[in-house]
Amino acid sequence: MDYAIESTELVKRYGARRALDGLTLAVPRYAVLGLIGPNGAGKTTWMMSIAGLLHLHGGTINLLGCGPFDPAVHSGRITLLPQDSELPLESRPIDLLTHYGLLQRLTRHEAKRTAIEMLREVHLEDRLTATVRSLSHGMRKRVMIAQCFIGSPELVLLDEPLSGLDPREAAHMRAFLTRRRGRQTLVISSHNLNDIEAMCDRVAFIEKGRTVRNTTLDEIIGTSSMLLYRVTAEPSDLSAIGAAVPGATLSFNAATGTVCCRYDPNRDSPAQINARVLPPLLAQCGVIDISRGDSLEAAYLRE
Amino acid sequence: MNALVQTWRVACYEWFDALRSRRALVVLLLYLAAAVCNMHWSINLLHKLESELATALQLPATEQAGVVSTALWKSKPFQRMMKRMTQNDLVLRDITGKHPVELIYAWFAFFYTPLLVVLVAGNRIAEEIGSGSVRYVIFRTSRASWSIGKFIGQVFMIGLALILSGASAYAVAKIRLAGSGTPDLFLNMVQWSLRAWVYSIPYLGLAMGLSHLTRSSSKATVMGILAITACFVLSILIRHFTTDTGWRAYLPHLGQLLPDGHKMLLWRNAPAPLIAGSATLITLGFCYLFTGYAFFRTRDV
Repeated sequence: MDYAIESTELVKRYGARRALDGLTLAVPRYAVLGLIGPNGAGKTTWMMSIAGLLHLHGGTINLLGCGPFDPAVHSGRITLLPQDSELPLESRPIDLLTHYGLLQRLTRHEAKRTAIEMLREVHLEDRLTATVRSLSHGMRKRVMIAQCFIGSPELVLLDEPLSGLDPREAAHMRAFLTRRRGRQTLVISSHNLNDIEAMCDRVAFIEKGRTVRNTTLDEIIGTSSMLLYRVTAEPSDLSAIGAAVPGATLSFNAATGTVCCRYDPNRDSPAQINARVLPPLLAQCGVIDISRGDSLEAAYLRE
Repeated sequence: MNALVQTWRVACYEWFDALRSRRALVVLLLYLAAAVCNMHWSINLLHKLESELATALQLPATEQAGVVSTALWKSKPFQRMMKRMTQNDLVLRDITGKHPVELIYAWFAFFYTPLLVVLVAGNRIAEEIGSGSVRYVIFRTSRASWSIGKFIGQVFMIGLALILSGASAYAVAKIRLAGSGTPDLFLNMVQWSLRAWVYSIPYLGLAMGLSHLTRSSSKATVMGILAITACFVLSILIRHFTTDTGWRAYLPHLGQLLPDGHKMLLWRNAPAPLIAGSATLITLGFCYLFTGYAFFRTRDV
């Protein structure tokens, strides 16, 4: 597999504390990877290390097949939305983004055109020449997101990209990031698992500076191999329903009030499973809702 | 080549951004005002001296300052005073023929430039490290390009401030002082601005080098002020304690590491000392900067 990032056994210490404790994580090219983990798990440290902002105490990084971060090699190919980092307050978004474009070796004309295009994309076309100081927190965040996509970099690292945005702008940015799928490699760190679920096709769980799991979203939440039936009461005879779907496994979760049916997607389609499960299930209880796969939140909490 | 282009881009943006920044602009205007006021008050003082001289000699009082100042400038007591001030015969010889206005402005520019440097640029790097805005740049360009670019941008900024202050001091002199409105004097004032600009470079390197060591903008300014004060104090101590024999004879070598050790070369007329002094001061500026950068290149941002 072709990887955009291959990080192996990364170690970063702050005094006695290990922020990265042998973290190994590979991100396939053109994937949209969601980084999930508790506060202090090492997500931000990992991202900053990838972008060359932090010096590591151990481990190896291979970015876009060209070794560890080197501005001479990776400038313009990798961008970062860092967490808790202010833009220069007296700068104007249009000047700032044009400057960043120039540093990414775009021509002045290209840099300015891309800057305007990106600011338009984040709905700031009317604030091109306002100073960053005069922008609201959400607007600044949108400028920060816009700077990541100047010059169409191959790899974009986004640390909490949607925090601080109003619901309308958050939805717009979610759609914008989703549209990048297949064109760029994105790594998104967020505590909002619904956002990760909506935007990413891969998910990595990080805990205490180590990768606990790194796989496809589909595999984690079971979109293509699991159907969940929210029911009004516990079915009295689950084995009778199981008999109708040979090769599938059924279980009832009393906490969520759902019947979970895991099946082999190579053998049956969701429609076929529904056709076989629903008649015996409806004979025993009411069905309120059917969904493909579990929520990421539930899957994460289960891990 | 590419690193040079990147450095140039950072420098241009730094200059452009500093010009728009309200704080830098306020400091520049204050410096400009100080140059104008200094020239105005110096001319007032000159006029007063001339009037007293005219009264003592029972001559008619002059309407405008500057009528007898050239003669005053060349008088023995004044020469003795200048010799004590410069402590350098070569410099004294070179400045003897200068117009008083030039020397008043040069004294002002050389005296206040280090302070201007600290106030305008002392915290530029620390400010960006502290706010995190450096994080948007150093994955686009190298840390060295960023640091040197910021430094060069500020060098431009100080240069602009000094040339403007030179021009405004000339304007005041032209209005207030008899026979000082010549184009030659204007060019000489610009030349003094350029000399003060070169003198500002090591102080800028020192302030910005120190700025790499901290994330706090105010701490960087304080460190800059302390460092520049230490430079002045050390220069005075070196001058005071230097003797011809013993270990004290080596003190002037220590003084070569300080900007003041080369300042007098910028007051000379001949090209050789001027070029040598300028080259040494610029090198010193970069050395101070790189000392701070050496820490920054290995630190986390």
